[in-house]
Amino acid sequence: MVETLQNLHLGFSIALTPSVLLYAFAGCVIGTLVGMLPGVGPLAGISLLLPATFGLNATTAIVLLAGIYYGAMYGGSTTSILMRIPGEAASVMTCIDGYEMTKKGRAGPALAIAAVGSYIAGTLSVVGLMFLAPPLASFALRFGPPEYSALLILGLLVLAYMSSGSMPKALVMAALGLLLGMIGIDTMTGFFRFHYGLVELGDGIGVVPVAVGLFGISEILLTAGQPVPPAVHKPRLRELLPSRQEWRDSAAPIGRGTILGFLIGIIPGSAHIISSFVSYALERRLSKRPERFGHGAVEGVAGPESANNSATSGAFVPMLALGVPSGPIPAVMMAAMMVHGISPGPLLIKQQPELFWGFIASMYVGNVVLLILNLPLVGLFVNLLRIPYPFLYPAILAFCVLGVYAVNQSVVDIWIMTAMGALGYLLRKFDFETAPIVLGLVLAPMLEMSFRQSLAMSSGSYAIFFNRPIAATMLFVAVALMLLSLRPLISRGKDWRRSVGLEEKRALREENP
Amino acid sequence: MTIRLLIALVTLLGPGMVQAQETYPTRPITVVVPFPPGGIADLTARPLAPALERVLKQPVVVANKAGAAGAVGMQSVAIAKPDGYTLLIGLVSISIIPEVDALFARTPAYTRDQFVGIARLNADPPILVVGVETPWKSVKELVDDLKKRPGEVTYSSSGVYGASHVPMEMFLHAAGGLRMRHLPTTGGAPAMTAVLGGHAAMWASPPAVASPHLKAGKIRALATWGATRLAAFPDVPTMKELGHDVEYYLWAGLFAPKGVPTSVVKALRDATRQAVQDPEFRNAMEKVHTPIAHLGGDEFSAWWERDAQKLAGVIKRIGRIESK
Repeated sequence: MVETLQNLHLGFSIALTPSVLLYAFAGCVIGTLVGMLPGVGPLAGISLLLPATFGLNATTAIVLLAGIYYGAMYGGSTTSILMRIPGEAASVMTCIDGYEMTKKGRAGPALAIAAVGSYIAGTLSVVGLMFLAPPLASFALRFGPPEYSALLILGLLVLAYMSSGSMPKALVMAALGLLLGMIGIDTMTGFFRFHYGLVELGDGIGVVPVAVGLFGISEILLTAGQPVPPAVHKPRLRELLPSRQEWRDSAAPIGRGTILGFLIGIIPGSAHIISSFVSYALERRLSKRPERFGHGAVEGVAGPESANNSATSGAFVPMLALGVPSGPIPAVMMAAMMVHGISPGPLLIKQQPELFWGFIASMYVGNVVLLILNLPLVGLFVNLLRIPYPFLYPAILAFCVLGVYAVNQSVVDIWIMTAMGALGYLLRKFDFETAPIVLGLVLAPMLEMSFRQSLAMSSGSYAIFFNRPIAATMLFVAVALMLLSLRPLISRGKDWRRSVGLEEKRALREENP
Repeated sequence: MTIRLLIALVTLLGPGMVQAQETYPTRPITVVVPFPPGGIADLTARPLAPALERVLKQPVVVANKAGAAGAVGMQSVAIAKPDGYTLLIGLVSISIIPEVDALFARTPAYTRDQFVGIARLNADPPILVVGVETPWKSVKELVDDLKKRPGEVTYSSSGVYGASHVPMEMFLHAAGGLRMRHLPTTGGAPAMTAVLGGHAAMWASPPAVASPHLKAGKIRALATWGATRLAAFPDVPTMKELGHDVEYYLWAGLFAPKGVPTSVVKALRDATRQAVQDPEFRNAMEKVHTPIAHLGGDEFSAWWERDAQKLAGVIKRIGRIESK
């Protein structure tokens, strides 16, 4: 403990030197922008800036890149809340309730809660990273393909169990997402599936164009299709800050999102997008009034936004403690260290204390910077809504096309976004939720690969899922959940979704047809 | 008439062509890296670009065009205008992808003869590394054990037909047709993670990836696929020393699309020969534990041909992987 504090002191003495502070600030600003631009997420931002860090020293390089990473998680919520366009993939869930809050004139509070939640999650998860990195990292290594499949199966069941509205409709959408996720190279055999001669489809359909199309483009199309253009929101100053009730409702989701995001972030291979999905589902399940979700529940913003920030710190655990990247973003950051002659590995913390503790301290500083940066901007961002739709929407469309293209410099991605926009429009006309498609698309390749990898490890024996304690436990919980969800079929009237979710939605529709 | 026309054409076009060739390059050159930033192709291209710049006196820009295990970027260069202003950093996979396409009888994304080799930049043999909890201390112990338990031990790789699947297949074949389980992943990092976590027993790792974990004692090195031992790991024997006649390198090379004027090819080859002497470039490659192993001109073309033939044989032997 004393040692940690001494180390942290060393860290702050590095993090507060003007040059490191400057790069932390620059990283946070760039990250916020990268997060806001639809399509361009932290991976694209970090990749684009990686060459620029070659001229810096290792600590400033890593501080800058990390700033972009967690800065993007702050920025990503902005466009989701204001325009229903996910700034980056992990903000998909924020679109749902965040945008509903905007429609009700609560954009300011939603943005403020997202920023504060991100700050709390960011800071607390760095504490976790600081104290728990080595033990947690060795736990993360025990997650092999069987554990991963079990986790994903559990995750899918939890999400299906907790989805809103009509269960068959949600399942159809999830199935569609899973099918879309089948496109691309089969990792296990090298076979191309459904690529129709397009090399670009070899990697499958990206999450970014699908999410931007299904959420953003479809929203623009729906608005354009309304007989009377919606009134331009005129935010008032006193509406910028969350009410006492909203603070109270957000406190617990922020706390749970922080823990959840951190744990999911640690597991190699999982993405922070999953942490936001799971957090949303969890909050909905725990809420006393789940019917509010999808209609502007502040918990639906607070939970996922905290979770995706916390997941970034979690993702650093295996990278710093073991030299194992938990995903593509830490992999790029490891390359940034290697260029400076530092090989991230199990000895990194011992051999490079200045880098490790400077990095930790810079994250504390960076989160403060982001909060200071983002809170005053809430007022400015909310005023974007004053722009009349004939000017706002074409601009948004242009940014969507630019952002989606910038990720891979691929025109195919723009077509995918366009097609998904049309599909999203149709589906929403028929009252289908589009979030399960994105979820299915993200989970399908992961689930398929880990499942078949497990079978490759066991030479085809399914026993591998039950021999390993972590996998067996998760599968047991999954089965228990499934049985629970079957219960209402046998004894009617016990299902909360029957009493609240679905009926509520119908009732609402009948009220305002 | 025809002759006169020809003469007229030559006198008209001749000087212009000569001049264009003499002054190459007259504008910025793009080096396409067909992988995302941070991989070895990218880490080779980034310091190479300024080194080439210093020789060619024109900006050299690195562009990442990732996708489909490199096929997207390689295809884009294969069909680029052959004027010497679009180049490619290719890895060993440039020889493998067309063979896999042929195996599945699909239209190839590109073929090898669409490229002209400028130079090889580095070539490192992978290291066979085993998890620290595995019993084997030498290749001999491993081979004996695998003979006793065919198809029971798992190795991981960066992907099917990938740069670390091929050498394992070569080794298993040379050691008498041993059988192992194969756990393909999506890259070098997950393959290493699987070994560190004990989900796979071994893999053929690039030295740069294995190095920090070897130093920390989390994995053991049994052998390398090189003709000679690695300078950074002088204690690790080669497969050849141990009686397994296999040789395999993870290499990176600079390529131009076919049809580039010979004078431009020559200019690029000379420039690369100078660039690999650049102290900053050498230093940068040392830092990522991938020392320069330059091979230029026709020597490289011949070497590439031999290497590709060898790999083609391995791919055919692996054949189509049928999932059951």
